[in-house]
Amino acid sequence: MKLILTGILAGLLAATAAHADEMVFTSWGGTTQEAQTKSWAAPFEASSGIKVLQDGPTDYGKLKAMVEGGSVAWDVVDVEMDFAIKAAKDGLLEPIDFNVVPKADLDPRFTTEHAVGSFYYSFVLAWNKGAVSGEPAGWADMFDLTKFPGKRTFYKWSAPGVIEIALLADGVPADKLYPLDLDRAFKKLDTIKSEIVWWDSGAQSQQLIASGEAAFGQLWNGRVFALEQDGADVGASWNQNMTAADVLVIPKGSKNKASAMKFLATATSPKSQAMFAEASGYAPINTAAKAEMPADVVKSLPDAYVDGQINLDMNYWAENRDKIAERWYAWQAK
Amino acid sequence: MSCNLLHRQPILRRPDGSGGALPALTLITLFFVVPVVALLLRSVTEPVPGLHNYATLFGDGTYARVFFNTFLVATVVTTVTVIVAFPVAWMLAIMPPALGSIVFGIIILSMWTNLLTRTYAWMVLLQRTGVINRTLMDIGLISQPLPLINNLTGVTIGMVYIMLPFMILPLVGTLRAIDPMTLRAAALCGASPFEAFRRILLPLSLPGIAAGGLMVFVMSLGYFVTPTLLGGTSNMMLAAMIAQMIQSLLNWGLGSAAAFILLVVTMALYALQLRLVGAKRMTGGI
Repeated sequence: MKLILTGILAGLLAATAAHADEMVFTSWGGTTQEAQTKSWAAPFEASSGIKVLQDGPTDYGKLKAMVEGGSVAWDVVDVEMDFAIKAAKDGLLEPIDFNVVPKADLDPRFTTEHAVGSFYYSFVLAWNKGAVSGEPAGWADMFDLTKFPGKRTFYKWSAPGVIEIALLADGVPADKLYPLDLDRAFKKLDTIKSEIVWWDSGAQSQQLIASGEAAFGQLWNGRVFALEQDGADVGASWNQNMTAADVLVIPKGSKNKASAMKFLATATSPKSQAMFAEASGYAPINTAAKAEMPADVVKSLPDAYVDGQINLDMNYWAENRDKIAERWYAWQAK
Repeated sequence: MSCNLLHRQPILRRPDGSGGALPALTLITLFFVVPVVALLLRSVTEPVPGLHNYATLFGDGTYARVFFNTFLVATVVTTVTVIVAFPVAWMLAIMPPALGSIVFGIIILSMWTNLLTRTYAWMVLLQRTGVINRTLMDIGLISQPLPLINNLTGVTIGMVYIMLPFMILPLVGTLRAIDPMTLRAAALCGASPFEAFRRILLPLSLPGIAAGGLMVFVMSLGYFVTPTLLGGTSNMMLAAMIAQMIQSLLNWGLGSAAAFILLVVTMALYALQLRLVGAKRMTGGI
């Protein structure tokens, strides 16, 4: 019976499944997926003749339903790295064929048996200059309601970032963050809870800051970059910026596995990675990409702010994902 | 009326028995009964067989709070909807038909507009830097923006707006059936307008209020889009919690159990509604 349900569900999801000379790429929508389409899918289509259909946003529930129902409509999916580690363990992903995808120049931090890097990013502190008097210097200022009154916005879903921010603001040294002291983090977050507006998509985070609906917030650096490009009156602090990565995975049972592997080879190539970085403000995961990029772009990437930079621990999160998520959502609902 | 029905029944009966219902029954079995049974099975088999998913839902304070929130929102929304809908329905019932159909058209038109668009429109109006707060601050009525969004206020405003047609439509039917002469008779007997409303109009319109109210209540229980966009995380409702369990936590057993509870509650309320509507028909027949 379970199989019937997942079968029906997956069948519906797969109604848009691609033909032999097509494949489906799924990502998070917005300015990020636009850049991926332009920098990866377009050159791939031109060189291979394989059409890349775009879908999104990424939905882990759908991905699981597709794999379990045996009807996989997505061929390459952009996911958060901690999810990828967990999903590989749960048997939801195809192993990467590194005979097709050249591994030599890929940043080993973001390469696993079942995933290659997509891009990596930093969480930075961004603010609307019209809504904030003065300049917040770091995460601790987000918890100072007297010095910096107003709404602050954080990432809504349980994911690496907010817990670490709360602990840093509470005085935990950067090298002592893990294992995360959840009690301490939630206690700190309680002090500003009534002033938090949650954002659940990158586009929403941009809208909140640009309109001044939230005075400041924790944003993906690429979204701040896009706001600046649009001429919005925003400021950003890279102090203690936190890196995390998105990776590209192939769901187990993908019907266009061979095309998907070739797509990964193009997407992670130095040239495609350089193009994407220039368009999005996110950092390349191919170490040879920088040579292909203009100097001023290189200066604006997370790589240029390594001083005080914190690498969010993806393995710790993959290990504790469910446990933290349960507490996170229970705390939010309080 | 009942005589009439008896006469018409033989004409309506199909010569081939229930054969004509087969496609519809197949469709319902395939796309409703089978998934519901699968849902139930999943809720008692994942991750291990047993009733632990239900035990978790009923035993944990967080989930109890979400259940409470869901019923709180549905109750508040239903109450406010009734209060706002009643004058509109009354106006529609006594209006000249030509004008009435224009107002009716406007109400129906709002139902045809995309739900997401309407909810986003409320977001633009209600937010701190939105039209309402800006205007109130410009004319000096308030100095700080009112918290109209990301809380129960925002959810109530947005949902009442969406639910209004579902309340107005059944209510207009009931109110039109009331003889306006009864109100005139009450006035002649010395009843104040309020008394006439309380003792004549309200009791006579109760079947319509009950039918519309239950419909709004049941729809509110499972609402997702509006509470998610206009509410905060601290007034999370059941539907949002189920989405979280399925999409984010990937805990399908627990999500199925929550969905099944919502289904049972909704069906129970629907059964109640059927009984009430049945009762209305009986009193109408007298």
